[in-house]
Amino acid sequence: MKRIISLMLVIVLSLALFAGCGETNDVPKDKPSDNNSEQTANENPGEPKDGGTITVALSATPKSIDPVKYTGVYEGNIITNVADTLIKYKQDLSELVPNLATEWNVSDDGLVYTFKLRDDVHFQQGKYQDGRLMKADDIKYSLERSAKESAMNRLSMLDHVDVVSDFEVKCYLKEANSAFLTVLTDSGNVIVPKEEVEGWKEAFGFNLVGTGPFKVVQWNNDDSVVLERSDNYWGEKPHLDGAVFKFISDRNMMTNALRTGEIDVATDLSGESVEIVKSAEGLVLQEVPGLHVGYVYMNLMEGPTKDKRVREAIIRSIDIDQMVKGIYKFDEAERGYLALPPGSWGYDESLESLIPSYDPERAKELMKEAGYEDGFTTQIYVADKPARVKMATILQSFLKQNINVDVEIKKVEWGTFSDIASKGKAPMYGMSWTWYPDPYFFLNYMFHSSQIGALGNGQGFNNPEVDRLLGEAGKATETNERAKYYKQALKLITEEYSRINYSHEKVIYGLTDRVQGFNLRADSQITLTSSEVNVWLNK
Amino acid sequence: MLKTILKRFLQIIPILFIVVTIIFVITRMIPGDPAAVMLGPQAPVEAVNDLREELGLNKSISQQYFMYLKDILKGDLGKSYYYNESVVKLITEKFPNTLSLSLVAIIIALIIGVPVGIISATKQYSFFDYISMIAALVGVSMPIFWLGLMMVLVFSVKLAWLPSIGMGSIDNGLWDLVSHYILPSICLATIPAATFARITRSSMLEIIKQDYIKALRSKGLKEKIVVWKHALKNALPPIITVIGLQMSSLLAGAILTETIFSWPGMGKLIVDAISNRDYALIQSTVLFVALIYVVINLIVDIAYLYLNPKVSYEAGKGGE
Repeated sequence: MKRIISLMLVIVLSLALFAGCGETNDVPKDKPSDNNSEQTANENPGEPKDGGTITVALSATPKSIDPVKYTGVYEGNIITNVADTLIKYKQDLSELVPNLATEWNVSDDGLVYTFKLRDDVHFQQGKYQDGRLMKADDIKYSLERSAKESAMNRLSMLDHVDVVSDFEVKCYLKEANSAFLTVLTDSGNVIVPKEEVEGWKEAFGFNLVGTGPFKVVQWNNDDSVVLERSDNYWGEKPHLDGAVFKFISDRNMMTNALRTGEIDVATDLSGESVEIVKSAEGLVLQEVPGLHVGYVYMNLMEGPTKDKRVREAIIRSIDIDQMVKGIYKFDEAERGYLALPPGSWGYDESLESLIPSYDPERAKELMKEAGYEDGFTTQIYVADKPARVKMATILQSFLKQNINVDVEIKKVEWGTFSDIASKGKAPMYGMSWTWYPDPYFFLNYMFHSSQIGALGNGQGFNNPEVDRLLGEAGKATETNERAKYYKQALKLITEEYSRINYSHEKVIYGLTDRVQGFNLRADSQITLTSSEVNVWLNK
Repeated sequence: MLKTILKRFLQIIPILFIVVTIIFVITRMIPGDPAAVMLGPQAPVEAVNDLREELGLNKSISQQYFMYLKDILKGDLGKSYYYNESVVKLITEKFPNTLSLSLVAIIIALIIGVPVGIISATKQYSFFDYISMIAALVGVSMPIFWLGLMMVLVFSVKLAWLPSIGMGSIDNGLWDLVSHYILPSICLATIPAATFARITRSSMLEIIKQDYIKALRSKGLKEKIVVWKHALKNALPPIITVIGLQMSSLLAGAILTETIFSWPGMGKLIVDAISNRDYALIQSTVLFVALIYVVINLIVDIAYLYLNPKVSYEAGKGGE
């Protein structure tokens, strides 16, 4: 028996050692942020110091950081710190500013975009090139690769790129699409060297090389990605020695890890975690209004909600202010009205008055007119997320109480949810949408008839006039002109009462107090070093 | 005995075939399109369709099934859609992490559970017996998720003694590695420790009441030798069965524990595979877990034969 026990002990210890060897270290912490922060966390942090590694926790596990393959914001967060785009959004997302391109202009027909490039940008040294100068050929290669291979069809509007000189390119579009510049800021369209992409092949997704402030040194599947400062970065030198992006899928554990100092930055906080971070010593809460819309879709293709009167009755029977207070007990969101977030330049406050107010009596009349005097039975689908489930529960009680509609709550996990919702099989479903401040990424994806069948327009919104206005907005090159079309489209959309837009959730991060200069962005993008941000660690 | 072992070994093949078929059907029955899940909510329709085509999801279910069977026979378990890597590589990467955690947990459980059970049996109805059996009852009914969170709150957040997430690395010294094992392995050991204590106690109670134990005692043999050598040896078979069962179910417990502690093991791999609708990975991980169950059972049976040669798996065949 003794022999067996000692043998087992030896096996276990050697396995433990062996298994431990491949693992990454838990690196120290500190983190930066971007943009648009309404509250600056640390007002007077003293002189920036060099050194230290920041640990940022991401709530999902990245599968690849090859720009053409990435699909989630959390992957984009790593990519933007390793590689650069031609142009980018300012930290406050108010306008597009130069990055690798110094200037650009658009032809009158909106089909040709000319970019002048910086001439002092080098790639990080990799396995297949030694840190050479970045030139126009690289822009052509990277953008055309994205146009052809992007999993998300990110650059589908791009036809081809012509190299004019070493530091000038012309991009030709298939048809005018003024969202092109915005799309160029996407992490999916960063500039990468051909040698590395072709050398690494599939494994490029774990060995991304770019022109950014940090380079990838280690990829630990399912656990973390380790970045180190790049010595030949063209911009301001980062204060940080490096950064670790660690994957922690459980919110509670992420908050706990922040409290223990194992991570410096906890992303996407909600619920009680917000309160815990607020009240804990040594932790700082940062929040900004997000580019986010929380909504309930109503099926426009079949069932009682096909009737506009029923949709209006449903909206009128819910006290949305009360609902928002009930869902977001820790003030994690603003009350919403329209299908765009107020942070988007297409937002039109005057349209808020078009939303039917809380009026149970009028709701009952409308139900009677529509022939549902006695109510009906329906279902709402939500993904298994606390804020959505609370919303559905509150909605359920309002509808039962005011218009005798029985709502069955179907709580399903994401894979099932997206399948049912996108195919129009749900009478109602609750979800949210967030993207760039450009209205294209909200209105085109959620209300253009070509997106019926995708999750964006799973409800089957189909209005030829809205399609036409969205098309015009895409062709116009002036922002003011585009805004005019989008506002017209938004008005028609709002008048359809096609959904209940109830909230704009905030972006909320928790930081340890040693993180300085972190600046939260409304699009959740994490920037550690840029022309506007340079995160450093105190202590 | 060799013949028995060989026979048991051959039985594994039809069992695994049934597992493969059932899991294939189930993964295809859960709603959700791997392509849509992979690309996320903002994916345009065309991108999702292109990816479906690329992944071969447009083929009929039966075509996919026969292709899958053919690949398995060739020893090819396929490629994970999500990680774009061979599932064999992913499993061999993650399994050692889960195995080491489970083994540490099972050893902790044995070190605590078996002696407590023995002492409780020898001191039946004593204060120790009551307390330890109440503790064991609490232990078996403990929700792992809650326990893990509480342990983190106390030992990581309040006392700052131990790390709360990840696996640590020997590169940072032995303590880094060991400290990362402590909370998850204790969390994982709770249910098996309690189970071992209960089963050891009842098995021992049965044995020490038997006549030959009384005889040994009356011969003046030291109590320690009577209990730990003679009684324990005969009480072992049911305990070994339970150890085997617990070893297999540790893998299930590891799913929760690994999620709580962000432990990069098989448990997390399986959970992620299911939520990502990563068909090849779900199929292979489940097949792998099934294989482990079967193998552990086989080992338990062999251990049984060894400890108690009277047990015969030929029984029931009539007159052999």
